[in-house]
Amino acid sequence: MSSPFSINGGACVAMTGKDCVAIACDLRLGLQALTISNNFPKIFSYSPSVYLGLTGLATDVSTVADLFRYKVNMYRLREERQIAPRTFANLVSSSLYERRFGPYFVSPVVAGIDDGGKPFICGFDSIGCIDFAKDFIVSGTASDQLLGLGPEDLFETISQALLNAVDRDALSGWGAHVYIIEKDKVTKRLLKGRQD
Amino acid sequence: MPGFDFSNHNRNAALHAQGVPLPKATSTGTTIVGCLYDGGVVIAADTRATSGPIVADKNCEKLHYISPQIWCAGAGTAADTEFTTALISSNLELHALSTGRAPRVVTCMTLLKQHLFRYQGHIGAYLVVAGVDPTGAHLFTVHAHGSTDKLPYVTMGSGSLAAMSVFETSWKRSLSRDDAVKLCADAIQAGIFNDLGSGSNVDVAKTTLMRNYITPNVREKKQRNYRFERGTTAVLAEKVIKREEISKYVTVHELGEEGVAGAAEKMDVDP
Amino acid sequence: MDTLVAQYSRPSGEQEGYSQDEQQELLQLTPPLSLKFALPPIAQPSSWLRAMTDDYSNPNCPIKIAHGTTTLAFRFQGGIIVATDSRATAGNWIASQTVKKVIEINNCLLGTMAGGAADCQYWLAYLGMQCRLHELRHKRRISVAAASKILANLVYSYKGMGNNVRRRNPQEGPALYYIDSDGTRLSGNLFCVGSGQTFAYGVLDAQYSYDLSEEDALDLGRRSILAATHRDAYSGGYINLYHVKESGWVKHGFSDTNPIFWKTKLEKGEFSNVTSELE
Repeated sequence: MSSPFSINGGACVAMTGKDCVAIACDLRLGLQALTISNNFPKIFSYSPSVYLGLTGLATDVSTVADLFRYKVNMYRLREERQIAPRTFANLVSSSLYERRFGPYFVSPVVAGIDDGGKPFICGFDSIGCIDFAKDFIVSGTASDQLLGLGPEDLFETISQALLNAVDRDALSGWGAHVYIIEKDKVTKRLLKGRQD
Repeated sequence: MPGFDFSNHNRNAALHAQGVPLPKATSTGTTIVGCLYDGGVVIAADTRATSGPIVADKNCEKLHYISPQIWCAGAGTAADTEFTTALISSNLELHALSTGRAPRVVTCMTLLKQHLFRYQGHIGAYLVVAGVDPTGAHLFTVHAHGSTDKLPYVTMGSGSLAAMSVFETSWKRSLSRDDAVKLCADAIQAGIFNDLGSGSNVDVAKTTLMRNYITPNVREKKQRNYRFERGTTAVLAEKVIKREEISKYVTVHELGEEGVAGAAEKMDVDP
Repeated sequence: MDTLVAQYSRPSGEQEGYSQDEQQELLQLTPPLSLKFALPPIAQPSSWLRAMTDDYSNPNCPIKIAHGTTTLAFRFQGGIIVATDSRATAGNWIASQTVKKVIEINNCLLGTMAGGAADCQYWLAYLGMQCRLHELRHKRRISVAAASKILANLVYSYKGMGNNVRRRNPQEGPALYYIDSDGTRLSGNLFCVGSGQTFAYGVLDAQYSYDLSEEDALDLGRRSILAATHRDAYSGGYINLYHVKESGWVKHGFSDTNPIFWKTKLEKGEFSNVTSELE
């Protein structure tokens, strides 16, 4: 039987730009070869500028997304403030490591802008090891040019990176969501992707 | 609740019994080294993290802070080295506060080995512990099953053989501080260039971290521009959420100085 | 292997329009069916091959064979419509979006392939050669029945070796055959093959009738493949469309599914599951 990470398919990527970050995911929910749904977004928001992308086993994606919704709500009640991206990343990390010996089959990606207006992105493995990155999370070749991109150019870069990736993966695609997160606004776009 | 949560374990074990492979954790696939010199100790590490054949992180930090005078280099499962050292670091801090003395390297090593032995090797952390305390400079290795060594120079991780060859040829009993730093950096570079699991840059720690002490693998700047032109991507729908509107989607009520505390806060529910 | 082949090289199809003598003569003239393949020095080559290549039961198998397809063909009053997708996958990796899965054996014989791409290409090319030799020997074109039988016998002699082929076509009235590596050979009016076959059957069965006009038949073939590429992860790319008539086959394009999909959606309002709404 195949890996739990490749039963439902899915892709997610995050990138930083100049005073902005972008996070994007595809929309497919499959069961092996069969496409069950083409409207299964994998990005969840936990505060005005904290976004979490979750790929992996769909049942765990939903469970983990709801678990963090609960944890972040509790955090807000306790602290009376919104959670910061770095705090949220540590919350994700320790929550996943707690299940070191019975992990959720997910690979999370966090993107956001912190209080100082600085972009923040990071990725995790399924047991909570954080991968802090300056430029982008999830596959591809690094490029210094990325760091200086403004929101419009960053949108093109992340969209093309994701669309071209999913066009070569049988288990991902069927449309995509892209969030461009800036200090005082968030732009969400639905991409027109191949439907095969 | 502290400790591990095993509630998914039965489900995952059942899946595994059906032939579902276990997820692969990020592994450091590492070269870490340490050596003593006259009056001190140096440890060093490469900065590559791997996930199977993929380089997951090109510049990760494998030298972990334990206490101001004690540092720890980690190899093996990345998450395990990260959390084990963080746990021991805070326990050691509490211990130092309650005893009112500077923490000792042996104490750190003992806490680590007791923790790892309890988990019988399931926590895949392979560590080099080094530091200076009132009893002198010390260098230890701790293996995942709980065994430890005390040696004048040590290497661990997949690049340990390459690194050890450098120590075996060049280490001597009386090294200056700068020579020791250079020797450790050379040993790491032997790992970076001769071991597939190790790569990128050299980190060195004495009592302070020298992050990216050597960067032998700097990426060339791209000669051409590969940006996509604006308008390349076809967009079906767009929604802009402005700062002032954000509260409609994520409920935030700024609580006043006092008196407004009674305002009921609305919880977020996924649509 | 030789003994195996000898066993099955006896005259097999009696009712295929050749006399016993003719058949005998044909067999002597035809080069032996067993092209010698190098086999691994292993007791059970087939199970060994399966163990090495079956990425479903073992995702870490050392050899990944290109799989996944949707192909269809159906008979109607104006001839035969043959349509395929064009995706080749190795595991989840899309190896190519522009595979030609229809093989033009001669100007009125077509074969389509599903399964192992290498096996299909090799054996259908071999079949083309045999058909040409038949023409030269007998001064008349081979019947579809005979051609399909050559292929069926051929793959049957390698039964269990893990080949996977099928084909079809006309003359003496259009004819359509399904052949697979088990040695199955069926004649019929309508076949869909491959990982997306169920989705294609869904559309085809709903709209098919023998009296379809030529244009409607081509549209139906195209629409059936489109449905399969949409729902089946291992089908996609381009739609390859052929119409086989008495006078030979006519190609009706090798066209990208993407614009066809959006055109179908916008003009006919189908595929309403794909929306442009954001929340």
